[in-house]
This record gives sequence, structure tokens and C-alpha cells, in this order.
Amino acid sequence: MTQRVVVTGVGALTPLGANAHALIDGLNAGRSGIRALDTPWISHLASPLAAPVMSAVEEQFPKLRRLMLDRVAQLSLLATREALTQAGLDLSGEQGEQCGIYWGTGMGGATTLEHAYVESLLNQATRPRPTTIVMFMANASTGQIGIEYKIRGPSFTYSSACSSSAVAIGEAFEAIRCGRIRQAVAGGGEALLTQGVMRAWESLQTLAKPDPLRPECSCRPFSKNRSGFILGEGAAALVLENESTARARGATVLAELVGYGNSTDAGHITQPDAQGQARAMRAALAQAGLNPDQIHHINAHGTGTLVGDAVETQAIHQVFGAQARHIPISATKALHGHLMGATGAVEMVAALATLHTGVVPPTAHLDQPDPECDLDYVTEGARQLPVLEQVMSNSFGFGGNNAVLIARRYHP
Amino acid sequence: MSSLPFIQKMLVEEFGLTPEQVQPDSQLDELGVDSLATVEFMFMLEDKFKLKMSGEPVPIKTVGDIAREVDVMVAQQGISLEGGEPPPAP
Repeated sequence: MTQRVVVTGVGALTPLGANAHALIDGLNAGRSGIRALDTPWISHLASPLAAPVMSAVEEQFPKLRRLMLDRVAQLSLLATREALTQAGLDLSGEQGEQCGIYWGTGMGGATTLEHAYVESLLNQATRPRPTTIVMFMANASTGQIGIEYKIRGPSFTYSSACSSSAVAIGEAFEAIRCGRIRQAVAGGGEALLTQGVMRAWESLQTLAKPDPLRPECSCRPFSKNRSGFILGEGAAALVLENESTARARGATVLAELVGYGNSTDAGHITQPDAQGQARAMRAALAQAGLNPDQIHHINAHGTGTLVGDAVETQAIHQVFGAQARHIPISATKALHGHLMGATGAVEMVAALATLHTGVVPPTAHLDQPDPECDLDYVTEGARQLPVLEQVMSNSFGFGGNNAVLIARRYHP
Repeated sequence: MSSLPFIQKMLVEEFGLTPEQVQPDSQLDELGVDSLATVEFMFMLEDKFKLKMSGEPVPIKTVGDIAREVDVMVAQQGISLEGGEPPPAP
């Protein structure tokens, strides 16, 4: 017998602020976290724009602890702390053995790795720090979350580019649903605003051209004048539990996870495929036992690239048919940037919040409608919906991985 | 002169420990300085004082053990630790 899976805590450390409330408030207000990076090497880049986390991060850890924490692990730990605090969960006892860690990241400890390369390749006399490996390895955040919060069940690290943390949440959902574990911390972190990584992304030519007058508005998902995305950093975490465990301990349930779909395009390493995306959406709907007309809001992948937004629009048409134009769709990357391995979890936090408030955030900066993107993208600002029971969040990654999550308002 | 005051000062500065914690007989693991952090610290010492550690495994359990190891290397390599004012003893 499958278990119902509920969300009892969320945490998010993003360019819009130090917690999930700041994220939601920022999105609904249309506030952008995109700005020029203040760093000496920024002049080497064609565009200075990024979406950095501006709140205090490093200072929240003792120096000795910091010694082995890349920025991505620091962000991940802080987001997890917020989620566990909201859930009121202390896993240091026996309970921790029944809790899993499901964490996504695209590049792991990018800052540490780049620093080690620069030091050891440019200056042969310098050795990388002895902690280099344990700071940049992809599963460093996963392990550190376990260490910090004494979570001792199974742990997994997922890396599927932009869908990494959506996959992590989906796989945690599956593990609880089928009874393998009772609880999980699931989400992801990313911290890749380094010179080398940003220059590599520039070469790929998927980054937005800076708007000279309004740089914070440079990312314009689904707008005809869109030119790409803005790299960002951050982390987000969900606490998932089976319903009986959550109820037995008197936890407040925020929402229920009901569907997860995962598919592979098997077409091209970067070019998205509407068929593959549609398969993931259909799989999530099927698992949730929902018809297309029961999805009331979609948090789109919506990166702001010419091809990506048009293909996602096609995929939504394929899945939702005549209903497609009646679903309010938000592309929140316009405001929080593209957080890569963390972005799926951040957007899931945003999607879950809509179930509480009935308010869906806008797709900001969409000022030129595109005939190829002909859906309802909530361009006027945050919108109160009369009915909001089920939400879908799409995440599609380079490599052709598609991960789709569906949550609904919790009814005991 | 003994390297102990320099090492104590660096442990305070680099690891955020208090002067009271870094006594010669203080156990490193009880201070939260595990084996990896100890290696990291030895690297810091090498860089700061232009030392070359032996590379041989040395049992280092206490703050004083670090100082003894550094003192041996300093003597062998003829290095002066007095680049600046010696720190006051904690």
C-alpha cells in the first residue's frame, strides 16, 4: 500500500532573500534579485549580471566548520535548517535513521575547484588545500547535511543540470510513497558564480544580454525579446514525511505531493524536446490521478531562452490541449535567476506557497508577446486565483532530463 | 625560540578558537580539530613560515605536538619564525 507524502517544512536561501518568505514576497512583488556582480574579475565577462545571494552566509558558520564547507554546502545547510525548523523536526534521535537525504546540485563545490585549479596550475609551487576534494565533490552538501542534522537514513546526490533538485524531491517522494523511509530532506544547492564557470556559460551563448537601462529586467521568459537567462545561486529544501508520521507527531502539513514524472529526451545534449517534456508532465499527472483540467497553476521551467520557452509552450499545449491557455503559468527565473541544480527546489517552494495564498507570482519583464508563446503567463503582476488546488512545477535539464512535480492543497 | 606562541595565535585566528582553548596539552580532537583540519593547519604553517614538513606520519594529538614538530623542522631547515612581533602568550 502506498503512503501519502506531505510537506511539513520548506527553506529557501535565494537572491531574493534569506528565507522562503523573502522569496515569495519578492516574487509576488515582482522584485528582481539580478544585479551586477561586485567582484574584481567581472570586467573579464561580457555581462556583469548575475543573481547572487546577498544575505550573510559564511558568517553563520564557525571558522573551524567553514574550513570544510564550500559555499554550496553553506547555502544547502542554511536552507535545510530553515526547513527542519519549520517542520519542528529533531533528527538526532532514532528518528534520524528513518530519514533520508535527497539532494541535487549541478556543479557541487565550484568555488573550491576553481580556486584549486587556479592555485595549482598558475603557481606550480602551490598545493591545493587538503580539504579540496571533500569540498568540491558533488555529494559534499549531502554528507554535510547528514553530519549537521544527524540524518542517518539513505542518502543520494542527483546531478542532472537544471532538473537536479526537482529529481531529488521526486525521488524522495517515491521513497516515502513506497514505504522505504518515513521522512526526507529533499532539495538542492548551487553556487557557481565563479569566473571560470560564468565564462564557460557565456561561451555557450545562453545567457541574457544585459538591458542597458534596466539590467535587473534582463531575463524575459516567454517575451519575444528574450535573450537567455541569468546565472544565480542559492539553495532550497523541503521536509517530506509520510502522512501518518507527520500526523502522529502533530506536525503542520503545508501541502501534499501527489505526482512525479521523469523522462529523458534522448535527442540532443542541450536542445529541449517537447515530446520528452510532455512525457514527464503526463507521467506526473498519471501518478497523481489527475486530469489536465485539474492543474490550476504551473511554475514553468521558463528560462528565457528563445528555443527553451517555445518548446515548453508546445509541450504544455500537447499535454493540456484546449485547457492549456486557461492555466496561469509563472516563470519565476525572471526574478530569482537560474539557480541551476537548486532551481527546481526553489521553484517548488514557490509553487507550494501558491496553495496557501491562492496567489500566483508574475512572469516578470514579459513586455513583448511572442506568437510562439501563446499561453497565460500572468504578465500583469501577482494574481489571486479563485480556485487553486493543484500545482505543477516543471524542471528540464541539459542532458535531456525532464522532472515534473505536482502538489495539492492538503485535505486530511 | 619555541613555535608554540605562533601556533597558538594561528589556531585562534584561523580556526576561531579562544586563547584559553589552545593550551599546549589541549587535545585537538576535543577542540573540533580533526585529522583533516590538522593537515590543513600544517599546510597553513608551511605556507606562512616557508617550512617543508617531513611528509612522514607524525602522531599529532595536542597543540604542543604541533609545536614540537614545527620546532624540529625549524631547527633542521634553519628558519626564523620571527617575521613579526611574537604574540603574547595566551
